[in-house]
Amino acid sequence: MLIGLDVGGTYTDAVLLDGQQVIKKVKTPTDNEHLLDTLVSALDPLLDAAQGESLERIVLSTTLITNLIATNRIEPAALVIIPGPGLNPYTYDYHVPDTFLLSGAIDYRGREIEPLDQQELKKCAEEINKKGLKKAAVVGKFSQRNKKHEETVATYLKEHIPDLCVLMGHQVTGRLNFPRRIHTTLLTLATQENYNSFYSEILKLLKKRGITAPLYILKADGGTLSFELSAAKPVETIFSGPAASTLGVLALTPEGETSVVVDIGGTTTDLALILSGRPLFASRGARVGDRLTQVRAFATSSAAVGGDSCLEVENGALKIMPYRKGPAYCLGGACPTPTDAMRVAGLTELGDQQKAIRAMEMLGEGLKLNPQETAELVLDKTTEKIIAEIEKMFLSWEQEPAYRIWELRQKKKVRPNNLVGIGAASPALLPLLGKKMGCNALIPPNAEVANAIGAALAKVNLRLTFHFDTERQFFFIEENGIQEKNREVKTLADAESFAMSRLIEEGKKLGIDVNDQPELVYSEVFNMVRGWRTGGRLIDVCVQFPTGILKQQEEGDH
Amino acid sequence: MPTGLVFFPAFDWAITPTHPEREERLLYTRDQLFEEGIMDLPELIEYKPRLALKKDIARAHFCVPDIETQITDAHLYAAGGALVLADALMNKEIDNGFALVRPPGHHSMRVVHGNRGFCNIHNEAIMIEYLRKKYGLQRIAIVDTDVHHGDGTQDIYYHDPDVLFISYHQDGRTLYPGSGFCNELGGPAAFGMNINIPLQPYTTDEGIHYLLDNLVLPILEDFKPDLIINSAGQDNHYTDPLANMRFTARGYAKLNEKLAPDLAVLEGGYAIESALPYVNTGIILAMAGLDYSWVREPDYKEENFKETKENMDYIKELADYLWRVWKEREQLAEQRYERKEKFEEVNRHIYYDTDGIREQQHETIRICDQCPGYQIIRSRGMYSTGKVRVIEAVAIHHRACKTCQEEARGYYEQRKREREGLDVVYLQDKPGDRYYQCSADGEIEILD
Repeated sequence: MLIGLDVGGTYTDAVLLDGQQVIKKVKTPTDNEHLLDTLVSALDPLLDAAQGESLERIVLSTTLITNLIATNRIEPAALVIIPGPGLNPYTYDYHVPDTFLLSGAIDYRGREIEPLDQQELKKCAEEINKKGLKKAAVVGKFSQRNKKHEETVATYLKEHIPDLCVLMGHQVTGRLNFPRRIHTTLLTLATQENYNSFYSEILKLLKKRGITAPLYILKADGGTLSFELSAAKPVETIFSGPAASTLGVLALTPEGETSVVVDIGGTTTDLALILSGRPLFASRGARVGDRLTQVRAFATSSAAVGGDSCLEVENGALKIMPYRKGPAYCLGGACPTPTDAMRVAGLTELGDQQKAIRAMEMLGEGLKLNPQETAELVLDKTTEKIIAEIEKMFLSWEQEPAYRIWELRQKKKVRPNNLVGIGAASPALLPLLGKKMGCNALIPPNAEVANAIGAALAKVNLRLTFHFDTERQFFFIEENGIQEKNREVKTLADAESFAMSRLIEEGKKLGIDVNDQPELVYSEVFNMVRGWRTGGRLIDVCVQFPTGILKQQEEGDH
Repeated sequence: MPTGLVFFPAFDWAITPTHPEREERLLYTRDQLFEEGIMDLPELIEYKPRLALKKDIARAHFCVPDIETQITDAHLYAAGGALVLADALMNKEIDNGFALVRPPGHHSMRVVHGNRGFCNIHNEAIMIEYLRKKYGLQRIAIVDTDVHHGDGTQDIYYHDPDVLFISYHQDGRTLYPGSGFCNELGGPAAFGMNINIPLQPYTTDEGIHYLLDNLVLPILEDFKPDLIINSAGQDNHYTDPLANMRFTARGYAKLNEKLAPDLAVLEGGYAIESALPYVNTGIILAMAGLDYSWVREPDYKEENFKETKENMDYIKELADYLWRVWKEREQLAEQRYERKEKFEEVNRHIYYDTDGIREQQHETIRICDQCPGYQIIRSRGMYSTGKVRVIEAVAIHHRACKTCQEEARGYYEQRKREREGLDVVYLQDKPGDRYYQCSADGEIEILD
C-alpha cells in the first residue's frame, strides 16, 4: 500500500492507496504554524485504515519550503561571486547585503582566462569572519564547466573561518544562467537547516508510530526522491502542489492525451498542461517570488477568478475582483460570487437558493438584468477569463524560442482533448468550460484528493544532462555538479552509451525500478573546426527516467 | 519598452561541415548569452523566428531559376526572424531589435545565381522591402559594420534615392569582395546615397569611431531617415581569422550605442570563440541601454588599440572628402551623369566565391525627371558545372511614375512573348506589389 500526503496552503489531502484504488481519503485544513500537527491529523486515519498491512512508501508533498521562502524565514548568508567579463554583476539584485565580488574568470569552454586574486580572497574571508556570518554561497560564472575557482575560494574560506557552511554554485545546478544559479544556490543554502530539522521531526513522528516504510518527498518536477537525499537540495521541493495535482490528473485520465488541469479555487484558477501524456515544464526554471531560479518545475499559470471571487458592477459593467470577502453569498458571505451564479443556474446544490437569487438580484440591478440573466452573464465572464488564460498558456508554449530548424518545424498548433477539473468549484463550472472550448470535461472520481493521489503514485525520476568536450577530454553533468576527466568518449555514440550507463547506475542508487525504461531526451554534436580541420567535439546528451506515475500492472501483483 | 531579440543560431545548418558558416558558429555566443541570463532581463524580450514568404523574397531578389533552388528553411527563418522584429518594432512592442540570425545575407545581390560570400538572400533588404510595403516607411538608412563591403546591399539599393547605404569595410584591394571604393556613389537617380568607407588593414576602435562621429552620424542627421538599420557584421574584430582589423567588443558596443539603430541584423564574424560571445553580448547590452563596460575579451588591453598617426591622417582625410561628396552630391551627380539621355547602360562582372559562378550583367537604367524610374537587368550566369543560365529582370521603383510603370510592364510583357535565348524573365512591380516570373514552364505570380 501507498500513502500520499499533500500539505497545501489551505488544505491537506491524504490518501491510502492499494494499487490505484483509494482505500481511504482525508481532507483537513492546513495549520501553517504547526505543519507537523496537520500531518499527524491527516496521517493517523490512514494508518488506522491500513490496519497494519505493509506500507511500501509514504510520499509527502509540502509547502514547507515555499512558506519558508515566502515569509523570509531564511538565515543570512554571505554571497561570494566571481562574475568575470560580461554583464555588469550589479544589474541583478540578489538581496544579499554581504555580497563580495572576486576577480578571476572562466570562459564558456571552462578555460581559466583570469586567475583569482589571493589578496582579494584574504580580505573577503576577513570580512565574513568579522561579520560573524555562518554561511556562504560561492558562485562563479561558468563554474559548471570548471569548478576550480569555486573550490579554491570555498576551501580557503572554510580553512580560515571556523564552522562556516559553504555551498558552491556548481553543486546546486549546472544549467547555463549565472544569475539563476546564484538565486538557486542562495535558496538552497538558506533552507537546508530548516528542512533538516523538519525532516528529523517527521522521522521521530513516524518512529513513534512504528512505521518503517521509506519516506519520499515530491519535487517540483513531479519526481519523488527519498527524503534523506532531498535534504541536499530542499529548494527542489517548492511548488510540489501543482506537480502533485498534475500527476493526479495523469493518473486519473487516459494515457497519451492532451489535457488542461483546471483547479478552480477560492479566488484563483490554477492551470497546468499535459501535452500528449507529458506534463509541460517551465522552460528555464521556476520563479520563486521575484527570484528566477533553475528549479525544474511544471509550467503553471493562474487566472484571477475562482468560486469566491467578489463580483461588482462598475459603470454598468460586471467586474470580477481579484479578492474575496468570505464565502459565497449563498453560503452566508458578504458579496455576490460566481458560486451564487452557479447555484442560480442550477449547476450546483451548494448553499441556499434564495440567497443565491438575492445575490444575483443585487448584482443585476446595476446591469438591468434579472437574476437568471445576471447568473448567465457571470458564468460567461468567469469562463471567458479562464479560457483566455488557457489560450495564453498554449500560445506561450508555441512561442517558446527554438534554436534549430527541426524544432521550429515540428511545433504544431495543439489544443486539448480534455479539461480535467480538480478543486472545489470545478464540478459545477467545468462542463460549461468544456462546451465552450469543444473538449471533454472530466471530473475524475476522487478529484478532491487528486493531489494526494498524484503524490502517492509519483515515480522516482532522474534526469542527467551531459556535456562532453572531447578536445579538453572532460565532461560535466548539469544536474549533480559532477566534473570529470574522460578520454574514452570521442563520438556521439560513445557519449550516448556512456550517459545511458551512468544514468542506470545513478538510478539504481535512487531506487529506480530496474524495469523502468530510460530515455534519450536529446543528443547533439558540434564539431569544433580549427583551421579547416575537426579538432574535437562538443557533445550534449540528455538522458532520463522520466517523470510519471506508477502503473496499475506494476502494483497489481500485490 | 524592451529591446527585441531573435536568436536563431541554426544549430542544424551549415554550408559544408568545415565551412566558417557552420553549426558551431553561434554556439559559444549562445553559451555566453545564456550564462549571462540576458534573456531574463526585463530590458529584453526574445521572439521566435517565423518563415519568410516567397513574396517577401521576391520584393528584394530575382532568384535563378526560382526561389526554391536558392534557399533552405534556414534562410527563410533567418529572414523571417528579421521580419518578426520589424513587426514588433512597428507595433511598438519594442524600442529596437537585434536579429542574431544565420545564415547572413549582405553579399546577396538583386540577381541570385547562387551563394556569394556565404549569402543567398539578403535579410535586411527583405526586411526593408517588407517595412516599406506593409508600414509605408519612406526613408531608410543602412549602416554596414561588417569588415567586408556590403556589395549586395549596394547592388540592391544603388538606384534607390530613398535608401541611404553607408558601408565600413576593409579596403577592397586587401579583402573580399574587392569592391566598395569611394567612387561607387550610386546610380543617376540616387547619386550620393551610397557611401563607402574603405579602411586600411589594422584600423582600430579609434579610427572607426572618428569616422562615426565625424562622417556617419552627421550624414544621418542630415538625411533624417525614418529608420536606421545596422548590418551588424562582427569581423572587424581584432581576432577575426578572415580579415585584418583591430576593432574590439567594447568598440562595437559603443558604436551601437551612438548609432542607436532601430533594427540590427547579424552578418559576418568568424572568430567564433574569441570575438562573437563578447561582441554579441556587448551589442545586446548597448541596444538595451545597459552597462557594457564589463564586457571585454580575455586578452584585451586598452593600450593595444591605438591608431598610428599615418592611418589617422588617412582617416581624417577620408572623412573630409566623403563629407564634401555628401554635401555636394547634387552638383556632382550632374557632372557624373548627363541627364539628357533617357537610358544609361552599365556592363559588369560578378563573381560568386562560394559557388564558383561567374555572372555577366548588362544593366539598362531608365532615367526619368519625374521619378526614380526602373531598371532592366540582363544576366548571364556561368556555373562551375559548365551550365549557363540567362535571365532578364525588370525592377520598378516604389515611386515610379505612371509612364515609367507602363513602360516597364510593357517591356516585361514583350519579353514574355519573345523569350528566345532567355531561361527566365522577371517582373518586380513594387508599386503594384506584384512579382512574376516566366520561363518555358509558363508564367507564375510569386505569392506565398
